[in-house]
Amino acid sequence: MKKQPARVLFYIFIITFGLVWLIPVFFLTITALKSNGDLFSNPLYALPSKYHFENFIEAFNEGNMIVYMRNSAFISIIKVPLGILVAALAAFGLTRLSFKWEKPFYIFFILGMTIPFQACLVPLVIMLTKANLMNTYVGLIFIYIGFGIPFAMLILTGFFKGIPRELDDAARIDGCSDLGLFFRIILPVAKPAIATLIIMDFLATWNEFLLAQIFISSDNLKTVTTGIMSFTGEYSTDYPLMMSGVLLSVLPVLLVYIIFQKHFVKGLGGAVKG
Amino acid sequence: MGQESNQVDTSLELNTERPLEVKKNNNLKLEIKSQRRLKLQRSLKPFYFMAPALFIYLMVVAGPAFYTMYLSFFETNGINAAGKVFIGLGNYIELFTNDSVFITSLKNNIIWTVCSLAFNLTFALMLALMLNRSFKGRTIFRAVFYFPFILSNIVVAMIWVWLYHPNIGLFNEILSVFAIEPVGWLSNPDLALFSVFAASSWQHVGSSMIIFLAGLQTIPNEPYESAKVDGANRIQALWYITLPLLRETYIIVFATTLFYSMRVFDIIYAMTGGGPSQSTQVLGSWMYYQTFNHNNVGIGSAISVILLIVVMAVAIPYILWQQKKSHV
Repeated sequence: MKKQPARVLFYIFIITFGLVWLIPVFFLTITALKSNGDLFSNPLYALPSKYHFENFIEAFNEGNMIVYMRNSAFISIIKVPLGILVAALAAFGLTRLSFKWEKPFYIFFILGMTIPFQACLVPLVIMLTKANLMNTYVGLIFIYIGFGIPFAMLILTGFFKGIPRELDDAARIDGCSDLGLFFRIILPVAKPAIATLIIMDFLATWNEFLLAQIFISSDNLKTVTTGIMSFTGEYSTDYPLMMSGVLLSVLPVLLVYIIFQKHFVKGLGGAVKG
Repeated sequence: MGQESNQVDTSLELNTERPLEVKKNNNLKLEIKSQRRLKLQRSLKPFYFMAPALFIYLMVVAGPAFYTMYLSFFETNGINAAGKVFIGLGNYIELFTNDSVFITSLKNNIIWTVCSLAFNLTFALMLALMLNRSFKGRTIFRAVFYFPFILSNIVVAMIWVWLYHPNIGLFNEILSVFAIEPVGWLSNPDLALFSVFAASSWQHVGSSMIIFLAGLQTIPNEPYESAKVDGANRIQALWYITLPLLRETYIIVFATTLFYSMRVFDIIYAMTGGGPSQSTQVLGSWMYYQTFNHNNVGIGSAISVILLIVVMAVAIPYILWQQKKSHV
């Protein structure tokens, strides 16, 4: 009973913070649904006098958003599984084959997580130009996989280390080869870690900007982030349309977030435990 | 591996022309040899599995980082330009003595880092402490504060540029209600960096909060119980138990925040492009403009190397510390 006022105060406090945190998203949404005339004649915080859902269709078709989103989806579908497979193989070799230099190699890989993209840009441009891979997805995906390896290794080696050795021994007695052990025992057991990784990796790929900006130049190959930059440049006076485009680009990410919420906390927790 | 040693054995059996003694001797030698080979192959096995990752990682991350260091000692104009002149530390000297924008960038990175550590971490810790209590709707609040983190920097930039719009943006609209003159959030050189920082904080506080929450969950219940027995109140419990026991979490949040603050790029590029009058340049963006807009590849490389050294100075001890921690 005595605690009641404190509790009410606490709720007021946290709800206020929560609402303040949502303000940007709220304005993004109502702006996206207004007409341009409505936007300039009424205050910004007024609700739309009429809801214009057709803004989304316009952004989708005329603003090329559909192309950008398709491109990002395509890149993610190739990059994420391939990157995880490459990292998982390495994590397996590092942790389950009694490797002598496990620790130095692990640190070598993990250090990559802190290297700024800028430190590699110029050599990568030179390399991709020489290989004729500038402005191609092959080049971009190759680079994405490279920069994705450290984080994937961090999560996967951490998880692989926790898998009991007895599983390996039992599998080997049954005549399992190394590859068999990897594909039939370790990977299935590591499903939770891989699920988390798929989600985090998808987000990172979908949201990446600098590399896509440097290595992709044709408009019809642009990803969501670089596309939205040129989209907003093109419609710089039509704020409702601009914001519809921004909102559209967020939807897939939001959907993934809502469905897999638990994995985010776990993923970060995993990163914390190292 | 088993196959290999079998082959050696069969080839030996076929070899019947030699005298018995030699054969025996040979047999022994070969056995040692094959055993050695077996051992070698076993120690090579991890490399087969690591080969693809190692190859890509060396090609994309490690190799280029070293090549950038090499390039920072040359003067080149243009990424694919043929002429390269070795000038030693010339680029570095140029940066520190002649490039005022570089000094601004370095200063901005430091301001950004200090503000992140002071403001974001305090706020994140406060949120985590509030959300660590059990109350109705806790998960919803966690989701609300964490969610901006899943957006791309570009999207965050777009939203906030809109909120900061000089004429019809939300902030100036609210100010006009109170009859306050509109503020040039992104056009005032003294203010622009902090405006961008506010947008970035909105995005990043949630991720630090989640790490703090994970840290809070590792604190056992016993200290609190014994504190209660000793008659400590809640604030004392917070000050003497919770905050000291979060020591390891501080290091993690500190390091991740510092890495991000030094590498910040996207949001500045998208919100101000380094302007107005270069007042919001940071190392990451100035490297970009020097290299790709002004074609000063050597200077750009030198900036990246400085960035890399600063980050590594924290990253290497941090990772070694993490390693030690996970083996105890």
